[in-house]
Amino acid sequence: MCKTIRLLLGLVAGVVLCSLSAVCAMEPAVISMDYSVTPRILKSKPVAKVDDVSSDGIIAVKITWDPLDAEILPYIENILIYRSAISDDDFKLIGTLKAESTEYIDASDTEARIDPAAGPVRSNWVYYYKIGVLTREGFIFLFSAEDYIIPQPVWFDIEKIAPFIATLIFFILVIGFIQVARRRGADLYVRPIAGMNEIDNAIGRATEMGRPILYVLGLGSPEDIATIASYTILARVAKKTAEFRTDLIVPCNEPIVMTIAQETVRNAYLEAGHPDAYSDDMVFFVTSMQFAYVAAVNGLMLRERTATNCYFGKFYAESLLLSETGNIAGSIQVAGTDEVAQLPFFVTTCDYTLIGEELYAASAYLGRDPLLLGALKAQDYAKAITMVLIYLATIALSVNIAGITIFVKGLIDYL
Amino acid sequence: MNKKPEDIKVIIATDCGSTTTKAILIQYDEEKGEYRQTHRGEAPTTVEAPFEDVTKGVLNSVQELAELSGRELLDEDNRIIKERTENRGADIYISTSSAGGGLQMMVAGVVRSMTAESAERAALGAGAIVMDVIASNDHRLPHEQIERIRQLRPDMILLSGGIDGGTLSHVVELAELISAADPKPRLGIGYKLPIIYAGNKDARENVSGTLEEKVDLVIVDNLRPVLERENLGPARDKIHDMFMEHVMQQAPGYKTLMSWTDAPIMPTPGAVGAIIERVAKLNDIEVVGVDIGGATTDVFSVFKDPEDEKPVFNRTVSANLGMSYSISNVLAEASLPNISRWIPFPIDERKLRNQIKNKMIRPTTIPQTLESLVIEQAIAREALRLAFIQHKAFATTLKGVQKQRTIADAFDQSGTEGTIVNMMNLNLLVGSGGVLSHAPRRNQSAMMMMDAFRPEGITRLAVDSIFMMPHLGVLSEVHSQAATEVFLKDCLIFLGTCVAPVGQIKQGKDVMKYSINFPTGTEEGMLKQGEMKLFKLGVGEEAEAVFEPQGKADLGEGKGSKVETIVHGGVVGIILDGRGRPLMTVPDDKDARIEQMLGWLENLGVYNMEELRALGKA
Repeated sequence: MCKTIRLLLGLVAGVVLCSLSAVCAMEPAVISMDYSVTPRILKSKPVAKVDDVSSDGIIAVKITWDPLDAEILPYIENILIYRSAISDDDFKLIGTLKAESTEYIDASDTEARIDPAAGPVRSNWVYYYKIGVLTREGFIFLFSAEDYIIPQPVWFDIEKIAPFIATLIFFILVIGFIQVARRRGADLYVRPIAGMNEIDNAIGRATEMGRPILYVLGLGSPEDIATIASYTILARVAKKTAEFRTDLIVPCNEPIVMTIAQETVRNAYLEAGHPDAYSDDMVFFVTSMQFAYVAAVNGLMLRERTATNCYFGKFYAESLLLSETGNIAGSIQVAGTDEVAQLPFFVTTCDYTLIGEELYAASAYLGRDPLLLGALKAQDYAKAITMVLIYLATIALSVNIAGITIFVKGLIDYL
Repeated sequence: MNKKPEDIKVIIATDCGSTTTKAILIQYDEEKGEYRQTHRGEAPTTVEAPFEDVTKGVLNSVQELAELSGRELLDEDNRIIKERTENRGADIYISTSSAGGGLQMMVAGVVRSMTAESAERAALGAGAIVMDVIASNDHRLPHEQIERIRQLRPDMILLSGGIDGGTLSHVVELAELISAADPKPRLGIGYKLPIIYAGNKDARENVSGTLEEKVDLVIVDNLRPVLERENLGPARDKIHDMFMEHVMQQAPGYKTLMSWTDAPIMPTPGAVGAIIERVAKLNDIEVVGVDIGGATTDVFSVFKDPEDEKPVFNRTVSANLGMSYSISNVLAEASLPNISRWIPFPIDERKLRNQIKNKMIRPTTIPQTLESLVIEQAIAREALRLAFIQHKAFATTLKGVQKQRTIADAFDQSGTEGTIVNMMNLNLLVGSGGVLSHAPRRNQSAMMMMDAFRPEGITRLAVDSIFMMPHLGVLSEVHSQAATEVFLKDCLIFLGTCVAPVGQIKQGKDVMKYSINFPTGTEEGMLKQGEMKLFKLGVGEEAEAVFEPQGKADLGEGKGSKVETIVHGGVVGIILDGRGRPLMTVPDDKDARIEQMLGWLENLGVYNMEELRALGKA
């Protein structure tokens, strides 16, 4: 009985093996056979397709295949990807994937390949691909892709359509709002920032009190966005101090920041029509050491009894030390930083605080320049659109609309 | 004045205006135990040629008073009898004056929005017309500022600047500007211009050194000793004193008039402000008063400071908003569409412009037809609205004040630009001036005030019957009880109560459920958006009312929160205004707008509707 069964099974295996060789042109030899899994693997024969997904600068081939039947997955160890160039008939292993995988991208920028001899995929070469199903017993079943492929370089990566649309939307918004700002001038509504509105009053206070104004640019380097935004506000403050004829003190932590600040203040005094009132001593370098700088600025506050302190730029641990001293000294304080960790300290010790991006918005708010105003409005609208998209993505994820989810995620990632 | 208040039973008060001198007689009613205004007389003011003696006009008006009352008020020497007997004489005589243009001042301060604004507030509060404000940051070059001081020739200058211990250089610079301008007073030759210095005490010596030789310098306490507090009293009092000592002394006949009065003569607007301030304080209410004249519109208000709940008095003079001399400026500032939106019949733009310009060149004319009346009242609405906008911009909290913050303020950092005028808290709105006080129907006055001021919540409306607020203002300095009693009983004509829910709700939707217990029965119903209703409730009558705002509508207790209150009647009654706040937009379509206006006017009985509709057809 047992003999008969073995004979029958051997016969079936022989037939299957012959047909598999004929149909799939399986190249590497099958090491051994698992008679129970084989028919089912053959039944769910994954049909592989190849697509050229090359984009600007990267050559890539995307190999996709139908998922294996769930019931045979427990018997499968890996999916193997083989590639052969037309000039070289030898298929080389280029990737090993999990059994559940359904796609593989063979890109020119992928560094690690299992068989180093495979080399990166090149444009205008003819490639053949095969996928191998490796069973837990070590058998490999090979299936050829339907067709060969000649990858070509392209200008546009279709997978990045979402960022492209987002860029387009943002571009239209910026151009549109710049036009609106030009037409409507200073009337274009920008949400009032209390801290900016109060700068004039803070300078007025210093004038009435007959005391100087202290302006701190923070510890940022000249190229920090927060420091760059701070220069714009410094220009405005300096212009006002020139008009009010009030003393301005700008102690700096960086020599290059000091040089730029000197130029900013000089220009502001010139613009206000009081170049004679400007002195290089208004803006000076103290030290590059964080706490030595704090000690020096705190000393200035207490000695000069500054009526108004402005802190705009990048701040770290010194934020509370500076602003608390100013608070105790009875100065009006206005601060702004993009360092989120320092914001609570400024909020509690200063009269007005510009939170995060308000610091960047301040330059547009103060200058009322159509270019800046338009860009600011466009950014605000882009943020509003992002918020709406997040809601849409949440809904799409909840109802599992994969296409929308991927598209929206792409937009959000970019925005 | 040596008399005790309880001995004062008969009072004569005059107001010497630019054209008319108005006298009133106030007598104590022994039976009712209250002071009442009993008679009124008026005569042309005689401050200008050919008489050039203000006392003649005063005597003429008092003579009329004597004739009307049957009480002998002038003796054989033509002087006011100050010894009262049964039917002869008065206990006191008091007066205000705005003749010759009133008190015209210039103020100066270091920062426009700080000490200069405080100085302006002090001058306006004292009843002056502020001709210009000089400040270190007013964007004018020194020579332009000097030129301006020379041109304007004010009666007085108030110089302020710097807190105590504050800036010296800026204050001294201002003093030097004034010194360089060497200003001359408007009235009188050969006397020095009075200048009140109310700035940094440390700068007094420097300011004296700069100005003493050229002007009559008086130094008072700093009106802004610290930025967190205003101290306007000393400056305001000194303005009154200087007005009496200098300005009045130069005006023809005023020296004699001053010798007659039992209290210092006050500038008319200052007196109006004084009575409004006193009534607000006595009754712990928030009040807005407006006096719309031919050339200017004065707005007075007493609102509580949101910071410390203390009542703050503010006065503004809108110098270019008035109903005759300044009427063209109202048109220019308000624009034609804003005026015509209040006219409930089609009108040709050319005709409207012609009527406005005619009024300007013939300022003493009054409307003779319904059409003219409606147009004039439409212009008044806009003049009042614009004046009130200016007032709200001026009545703000102090600027440059240090704030204490907590982390909870991270996303709610309000600035110091906010106005203290909160219409929801307003208890009483008083209108004065010909167009309001002498409107053919009181309903018209009520409608004009509601359209212009847009009261929110529950607000009593009143008009000044015969413009006796100035008299009562000066009386309040002498006899507070008499002044407030007469103010509430004779001066004010209560129009009624306006109930206006705040919120913008869709047209025709429910705004407020109401239930009012009138003496004649209970009225219940639902007020819809865009609807106005009027219920009669007489003067002195009260009614218990329950208002339930619907949805997002708010009557002061929060959105949708019920309000149980007592509403006061008046010659008009209780007005339910469902037009929403901000006031609902008027339709662009002309016919729809007219239909809507006619509906409101008909519901409130503002005009004779047959005549009004006939105007539309014509």
